[in-house]
Amino acid sequence: MRALSIVLAAIGLVAAACGPTTGGPTTTGQATASAGPVRGGTFILALWQEPVTLAPHYRNQTAANVAARVVTEGLSRTDTDGNYLPVLAKQIPTTTNGGVKLTSDGKMDVNWELLPGLKWSDGDPVTSADIKFTWQVWMKDPNTISRTGFDQIDSIDTPSDTTAVVHYKTVYGPYQNNFVDGLLPKHLLETVPDISKHDYNRKPIGTGPFKITEFVAGDHITGERNPNYRVAGKPYLDKIIFKSVPSREVAVAQLKAGEINGMWNLLEAQTPDLEKLADIKMVITPSPSVERIEMNTAKNQDMTDPSSTHPVLSDINVRRALIYATPKQSIIDKLLFGKAKPGTSPVSQGWASPKSLTQESYDPAKAKQLLDQAGWVPGSDGIRSKAGVRASLTITTTTGDQTRERVEQILIEEFKSIGVELKIQNQPSSVLLSGSWSGGDPRKRGSFDLVMYASSPGIDPHSIVFQRYYSKNIPSSANGGNGQDYTRFKNPDADKAIEEAGSTLDLEKRKTAYATALKLVNDAAVIIWMYERAGIDAHRANVVGWQGNVWDNITWNTEDWYLKPS
Amino acid sequence: MAGQAVALRAPSPERAVERGQWQMAFERFRMHRPAIAGVIVLGTLAVLSAAAPIVSPYGPEKNDLLVIYEAPSLPHPMGTDSLGRDLATRILYGGRVSLSIGLLAVTVAITVGTVVGTLAGYYGRWIDSALMRFVDMMYSFPRLFLLILFGVFFKGMSLPVIVTVLGLLSWMTTSRLVRASFLSLKNREFVEAARCVGARDRRIIVRHILPNSIAPIIVAATLGIAGAIIAESTLSFLGLGIQPPTPSWGNMLKDAPAEMNIAPWTAIFPGLAIFLAVVSINFIGDGLRDALDPRHVVRGG
Amino acid sequence: MGTYITRRLLQAIPLLLGISVASFAILKAVPGGPLAAYESNPNITDEDLRRLEHTFGLDQPLPVQYLNWLGKFLVGDWGYSFVSHQPVLGLIGERLPNTVYLMGTVFLTVLVLAIPIGVLTAVKQYSWFDHLVTGATFAFLSTPTFWLGLLLIIAFGLVLKLFPLGGMATLGMPFDPIDRLRHLVLPVATIALVQLGSHVRYLRASMLETITQDYMRTARAKGLSEGALVVRHALKNAAIPLVTVVALDLPELFVGALVTEQIFGWPGMGRLFWDSATRSDYPVLMGILAVSSALIVLANLLADVVYGYLDPRIRFS
Repeated sequence: MRALSIVLAAIGLVAAACGPTTGGPTTTGQATASAGPVRGGTFILALWQEPVTLAPHYRNQTAANVAARVVTEGLSRTDTDGNYLPVLAKQIPTTTNGGVKLTSDGKMDVNWELLPGLKWSDGDPVTSADIKFTWQVWMKDPNTISRTGFDQIDSIDTPSDTTAVVHYKTVYGPYQNNFVDGLLPKHLLETVPDISKHDYNRKPIGTGPFKITEFVAGDHITGERNPNYRVAGKPYLDKIIFKSVPSREVAVAQLKAGEINGMWNLLEAQTPDLEKLADIKMVITPSPSVERIEMNTAKNQDMTDPSSTHPVLSDINVRRALIYATPKQSIIDKLLFGKAKPGTSPVSQGWASPKSLTQESYDPAKAKQLLDQAGWVPGSDGIRSKAGVRASLTITTTTGDQTRERVEQILIEEFKSIGVELKIQNQPSSVLLSGSWSGGDPRKRGSFDLVMYASSPGIDPHSIVFQRYYSKNIPSSANGGNGQDYTRFKNPDADKAIEEAGSTLDLEKRKTAYATALKLVNDAAVIIWMYERAGIDAHRANVVGWQGNVWDNITWNTEDWYLKPS
Repeated sequence: MAGQAVALRAPSPERAVERGQWQMAFERFRMHRPAIAGVIVLGTLAVLSAAAPIVSPYGPEKNDLLVIYEAPSLPHPMGTDSLGRDLATRILYGGRVSLSIGLLAVTVAITVGTVVGTLAGYYGRWIDSALMRFVDMMYSFPRLFLLILFGVFFKGMSLPVIVTVLGLLSWMTTSRLVRASFLSLKNREFVEAARCVGARDRRIIVRHILPNSIAPIIVAATLGIAGAIIAESTLSFLGLGIQPPTPSWGNMLKDAPAEMNIAPWTAIFPGLAIFLAVVSINFIGDGLRDALDPRHVVRGG
Repeated sequence: MGTYITRRLLQAIPLLLGISVASFAILKAVPGGPLAAYESNPNITDEDLRRLEHTFGLDQPLPVQYLNWLGKFLVGDWGYSFVSHQPVLGLIGERLPNTVYLMGTVFLTVLVLAIPIGVLTAVKQYSWFDHLVTGATFAFLSTPTFWLGLLLIIAFGLVLKLFPLGGMATLGMPFDPIDRLRHLVLPVATIALVQLGSHVRYLRASMLETITQDYMRTARAKGLSEGALVVRHALKNAAIPLVTVVALDLPELFVGALVTEQIFGWPGMGRLFWDSATRSDYPVLMGILAVSSALIVLANLLADVVYGYLDPRIRFS
């Protein structure tokens, strides 16, 4: 009994003694009378996803990329228009400035020159040996996630400490992208037998404006100013802390309360709340991610016959009708608060984007007309059928995604009104997006009717266009489940265009070729391009220097950030 | 407790006593006021849920993007959710799902548990040993973890799957109760008497011993329903249980952490429904316990 | 007693082995896998995926995969996470203290509150206090934990702004016990209130049963004061079944209240399990399952031993 009252009294005392939190970011430093960069201060950025590893060749999460970006740098980076700019290199090698040489036997050599006097954050010099080492590790390490690009390199010579000559096996278009992710320090990792077990995963050594000094799993990652950063006087901030929060909602609450300075990746639904506030600024950046609904034109009943056809979706009239029945703009306005654009192709940003490509907009009357003309007759329950086949389809997307679930429910109603029955059959993303034939990914197996997910091409669209629309990339048991042509789209003209685009360095030629291929894809009406989402981030009004970047992470220029004293 | 029949009476002597026992139990139950309240509340919920199509003018899955996140008002007494669906309607339809999962899961658990407990208790010896070893193993499984693994890995947990999984993870208590009951009853005189008369094992089990073991099973079952409802709601909250658009009280709360700020009624009402149902069931269980086992009714000191 | 314990421990071994096999089978029985996260990365090709499958040993027959894991596990090598490459033991070691910190506080709170409240409601049966407590306990034990957590966050975090919305401590501040306490209140309350609901009821029922026993009447007749009666005789005997319940709570101590950790962003074992489950990070999952099932088995044993120690009527056969 007494114990109880003591506890109650203690709780009362504590509650009374507590006022609003006084912890959090601080702004110190000399403030000049005019608006100039203020040196000092700690920036707290909230991440609602917890980075598990920061090593460039292992990391796969966007949150990890955001955090690691302040530490690991590569030879080049991309600006928001998709142009490559040099970071650790003096310039971007091209055929014009002689940095890229095509050899007579159909190969190519690329010459990278490092800036003079570069140092790792631990003081050791950055040399061309690091470039070579990076390539070697990327290829040798069994835990590397992807060898794309590096597997096209034959060998690397290092004629001087600051020069590296990369010999490619073929003419490889996206060569500028090779060393964007991050150079690995040879002096540190050379003798390590298994990098995946090294502290480098949590505290990588890099050339960026900050170095990681603290990694508390599940809680926060601390970066402090890199004394050996190549630009004198920068970064302005003393520290940047990546704080792990359980959800976006908590991050928004903390941002409003001033407990954090910025947060990454809001949902559209959170924008109306923040738009009204004077002390919060939202940064809206178009993103290359396109949400789409892919239709299965074949249906591998026995998983082995790619020539089988789908009883309902092999009819192009049905496919076009479904596109007409999709209220894209309405979905964008209501569910995404207008913060997205209707989609038209898989390549929405960058030099290769076919800007003049279109897709049919919402017109349910047209949809019904098409179906009537094609002989799909409505039954007594309003659902159409033709030759004994009922227009009944399933739609699959990842479980637990509120926006997608709401889209599905809207489509159920819309399709019903044109006489097509739609049923939901969602799966967790670990199954649906496993990308593994043996893992049972339904897109690979062809065991779906409609599948909705998002994907973004890299800066160079070749990989995605090739994987998705080239006919040899239809996954089946015959080819070992290789490829990502989930719609089973097959068009010899598109194939030719794709081959052409992949075999030349001429950007204009490639752009035209991609435009041809993608128009053919749209004509076949196998994909409903739902919307191109925007990346939405937010920070407090006293943050200066934060800029969105379509192709890079929000932390691409933290060396320029500072906090205005409020 | 029941079973105090005198041995050498007419065949199935304990039946006459049973009838009297049940009547007395019913009387005791009626006097337990919280239990009666529970019956009324739960009954109302169940009836309304079953009659949902008649009670509500809305469909549970009808979207109306024009009225999303509306606060409670006359046309929508509990407000609307993120797709403009009427919340009260969804709660009624969700009640069908959540309540039936509770009932069905417990049915599975009771069935399995009774079979196992009967075999172990009646036949004893190595069967008993082996089965109890199995029960120990089942108890040692970290239940919530398993539920989550199933939920994450299965292609969306449909109603039959949830019922089966929940049932198969909670039959152990019943089996222990049944076994204990059998162990204590199988050597009683009325069983001897039945054997003398020539009754076979199955008859003895079904018509003599089981009826006398029912009381603790009933109580455990009632509380089991409450547990199953909470388990399903937790799973659906995590996104692993019943998948939208089918409403269940748990999955209506799935987006509550995000929606709390803008539409708190979407977070409050479904949880309230769960709360009312479970409290009612717990009160009923308490009443049943008092009614069926006089030892538990303690007169005031 | 010693032989009893030894025998139970020996029995535990095949039990735990059986559980690990069953867990492994469940993990692998259904489609999906740790490579799903890589799909949205446009740079990863099918070759990369296949290579990773091989690196993780996922292309080997299932019994081989299990035996590999078991062999290393028994010598202390619990493997490495597929996702973060951190050693599983290390990951568990990082999160365990946070969970113990949270659940230990819950455990103590419940113990400290349940005993006096339970005793009092039994002794003062049918008083207003009893009715109040009965109502409250029924209410709390009927509340889903996650809903209670949400309500507490809404009421005390958002509306009244008394307590922080999550996490263990405010970032950037040096260690401050008051700050830590403030972060503890809501998550502890969420779990403790529900547990108190059932424990208080349990203790009350147990006490009521004990109080009316014959030997209590005898002690009263002999002239023992009510207070001594309650504490020396009733409580000791009523507490025995409570011990069982409490001992069975112990595994919770380490395994953590998963949902609560999710809602409050507590970096504990529960969150580690959830993150690993959604990413199909098999090595971590097997490690966590091994720890939790071992703890359950040990807790059962502990409960039986303590029960036997306290209740002289029980003899170990």
